[in-house]
Amino acid sequence: MTHSNMNNSKPKSLSGDLGPIVHVSNLNLQYQYKLVLKNLNWTINRGENWLLGGISGSGKSSLAKVIAGLQNAVGEVEFNFNIDSALPAKVLFVESWYQFKNVEGVANFYYQQRYTSLQAKETLTVGAELISYSKENNLEFAEVEKLLKALNFSSLRNSQLLELSSGEHKKLQLIKALWLKPQLLIIDQPYTGLDKDSRKTLNSLLDEICADGVQLILICNDTELPASINCFAEIREGQLVQVESREMISTAPERTSRELPDFLKQSPVYSSENIVKMIDVSISYGEKMVLRNINWEVKAGEKWLLQGPNGSGKSTLLSLVNGDHPQSYANNFYLFGNKRGSGESIWDIKQHTGIISPEFHWYFDASSTVWQSVASGLFDSVGLFRQLPFSQKAKVDELIEFFDLTENKDDLLSSLPLGKQRLVLLARTIIKNPELLILDEPCQGLDQQQTQYFNQLVDELCNNGMTLIYVGHFESALPSCLEKRIVLENGEVKAIESIAESCLV
Amino acid sequence: MANYFNTLPLREKLNQLGVCEFMDNSEFSDGVNALKGKKLVIVGCGAQGLNQGLNLRDSGLDVSYALRKEAIDGKRDSWKNATENNFTVGTYEELIPNADVVINLTPDKQHTAVVNAVMPLMKQGATLSYSHGFNIVEEGMQIRKDITVIMVAPKCPGSEVRAEYCRGFGVPTLIAVHPENDPAGKGLAEAKAYCVGTGGHRAGVLLSSFVAEVKSDLMGEQTILCGLLQTGSILSFDKMIEKGIDAGYASKLVQYGVEVITEALKHGGVSGMMDRLSNVAKVKAFEVSEELKDIMRPLFQKHQDDIMSGEFSRTMMEDWANGDKNLLKWRAETGETAFEKTPAGDVKIGEQEYFDNYLLMVAFVRAGVELAFETMVEAGIKPESAYYESLHETPLIANTIARKKLFEMNRVISDTAEYGCYLFDQACKPLLTDFMKKVDTDLVGKNFNEGKDGSVDNITLVNINEKLRSHQVEIVGARLRKAMTAMKAIKTA
Repeated sequence: MTHSNMNNSKPKSLSGDLGPIVHVSNLNLQYQYKLVLKNLNWTINRGENWLLGGISGSGKSSLAKVIAGLQNAVGEVEFNFNIDSALPAKVLFVESWYQFKNVEGVANFYYQQRYTSLQAKETLTVGAELISYSKENNLEFAEVEKLLKALNFSSLRNSQLLELSSGEHKKLQLIKALWLKPQLLIIDQPYTGLDKDSRKTLNSLLDEICADGVQLILICNDTELPASINCFAEIREGQLVQVESREMISTAPERTSRELPDFLKQSPVYSSENIVKMIDVSISYGEKMVLRNINWEVKAGEKWLLQGPNGSGKSTLLSLVNGDHPQSYANNFYLFGNKRGSGESIWDIKQHTGIISPEFHWYFDASSTVWQSVASGLFDSVGLFRQLPFSQKAKVDELIEFFDLTENKDDLLSSLPLGKQRLVLLARTIIKNPELLILDEPCQGLDQQQTQYFNQLVDELCNNGMTLIYVGHFESALPSCLEKRIVLENGEVKAIESIAESCLV
Repeated sequence: MANYFNTLPLREKLNQLGVCEFMDNSEFSDGVNALKGKKLVIVGCGAQGLNQGLNLRDSGLDVSYALRKEAIDGKRDSWKNATENNFTVGTYEELIPNADVVINLTPDKQHTAVVNAVMPLMKQGATLSYSHGFNIVEEGMQIRKDITVIMVAPKCPGSEVRAEYCRGFGVPTLIAVHPENDPAGKGLAEAKAYCVGTGGHRAGVLLSSFVAEVKSDLMGEQTILCGLLQTGSILSFDKMIEKGIDAGYASKLVQYGVEVITEALKHGGVSGMMDRLSNVAKVKAFEVSEELKDIMRPLFQKHQDDIMSGEFSRTMMEDWANGDKNLLKWRAETGETAFEKTPAGDVKIGEQEYFDNYLLMVAFVRAGVELAFETMVEAGIKPESAYYESLHETPLIANTIARKKLFEMNRVISDTAEYGCYLFDQACKPLLTDFMKKVDTDLVGKNFNEGKDGSVDNITLVNINEKLRSHQVEIVGARLRKAMTAMKAIKTA
């Protein structure tokens, strides 16, 4: 394919009489044997801002990557940037889920190491990253201050990039995009991991840059969009179909319900009535207090919702429950009836629990197939490092079938759409029928339909008496089995209540 | 103190050099039990110290840190690392007397001082653990006879030891028991339990001896691992500049090329790496590497001889006594090379391009790996040990170059390795002067296949493939890699 005039555009006509900013013709893209885009045509005219919605796996992200020059395909993508504009004559693509790999100074890092307190700060900080970005793109630093403030990012300036959560990385990508103001900006799942206020802020910031001449393509199925969005489309059978409004975009068919595998119908075998018991638990890094005097008890079979704004300490709290936090050992804190640090290993703890979090997903072994990923849950390892006996293999097959993943079982996990990857990790997490299931924003990056599907599955799975701790934003869709709620704010417990009592959910 | 190895009769020298056994999984079924409930006290809280301690504690063991009083009073980084991760920290006097196992994870050159300080405080029948045998073998440190002396040496940097453990895996590890210090016969059981505690048992454990570990480790790091990668990188870069290749491109090709090339080595051995080349390029790389092997063989042999005789450690210890004068001078010189000073350019180099345009490095790696392996085996080191200390570690070191060039490599490796690396580099460059005169950009900087029709003689190719595949490093490597069940991709830029 050709990328005509990507960076140094020569206009075909004088300004004032500019043609379409992008003209895509006869685009074809195939992944192995699967045809994703088929003779796709798309013209984006001046003043148009598009919403690209529709079913997961229909090729939206692939199309965006082809336009951004990040993915090869057969066909033509012609750009016609305005050279008289002050805005950079380029297209920028913000990924739905930023895969942060090139960490200077660290070859092999696992997310759990975020919790380790280390004196030597050897990797790039947010501040240094922004400085180098401003130099690379000739941007005014004063401009970004406003964005950092608007998106509540200022306090993270001295954090190392690898200390950021995946949601914070996403925000950083958005900040850079809003700062750069490219003539064409494509954002895949712009609202992932943002709380309600941040979403609103993002929409008004997007409207502002549109007013300055940026053209947008947003890929999502969300309902609250920037006012500037004025065109709607989806991909059907590899072709772009423009529709009248957001409501006309197709939705995924209802999930056909399947019978749970027998081994998941049985109640987990509880070793203790008490799953979690924290007495005045505090965590700090140097002077910085992350959790303060937490008192919390989770009993066998309870279904908890954990909530709190970004940075309130939710992930740290869960890292304690999952045995991941090095400071567990100095706190008065019991897991499955045993005091932490009384001679148990983290593998003993992990045997009782299953966890999914955005960070866990992020650092998951990219070279694993779907089947290997699910099977690795039996050993709590990230990727499969051993042979399985027949009965365990059968269990893996059965679970993969239940999740409708049989046709993908030999695919690389990383080659599936995000929603399906999450299902694989859910399957991995429950394969041992754990006593405690921890789902930390399991639907981050998923659209509404995928979220609904996922939560429905969680309800089915937890029917057998499994204990659940589920983290979701205040406004996100939740499974209906949740019965209790703990709310954190600034590292402290703000409320513990039963969900029936509170009318907020 | 006399060099321990040199005090041994030949029979015992050969006996200890020849200890090498790849341990079966079933050997570790007792888990961490041999250390359960015992007091483990780690001396030193740098990268290895902290990360091994985190793993051991997460495996259910009782871990604390003994630091020098000045480090505690001065609230140095080692003190902060240990206390902020909620470990008990105390002085030698406070913690060592109650320790069942003292784990010495300080740098080589501090070993004598550390061991002299802790030994009188250790209780009767306790265990002293090392992660490198230099102090025992080369410096001839004598340990009280009631103390058990073991070695547990993970073959990766500290942060990697932690990362792999957290993933539910581990890094390949070498263990040993010092035959002069195993009065109760508990050394092996404790070393195995330690290994389970750091996760090493999941990635392959080699039972070695202090002597075999030192003599092979020194050889590997001085020659193929650090020395040759440094020489090859600098010569390649300088050649490209001489021939007018863009400096940014040259810098990037050299910085990342060695990592991409050795990634193929990691998965498929020398033949796997050579198979990434086209047939014509493979024939050329074979010829070039044969020539390199002939030129460099005497230098590899000299390094092995000096290591065996103790000459290397004697001169290095002289430099220690001299305040690291040579080491610091050579380190500064490496920091001033053109390669180090030229930032990698903002050019995209595809994965295959690193092979096609950097055939010279493929030849260097093949020559270096095979030479190091052959020289070690000829000197009485077992092929399994020789494999670990040559081929296995090459990608790990290459990864440090990709991160921040030679400076980073020399920062991450021990001072001992760094010292040996400079010695090799200084001797190797003059040896290669004539060879380098013949090298042109088809070998480094441009695509070797360009302008060639790609046809080769069948018999020539068959013979070359046969030679590559039947080399002992390939036979041993195939078996060991299979045992190390999972090989994961290094993240590349």
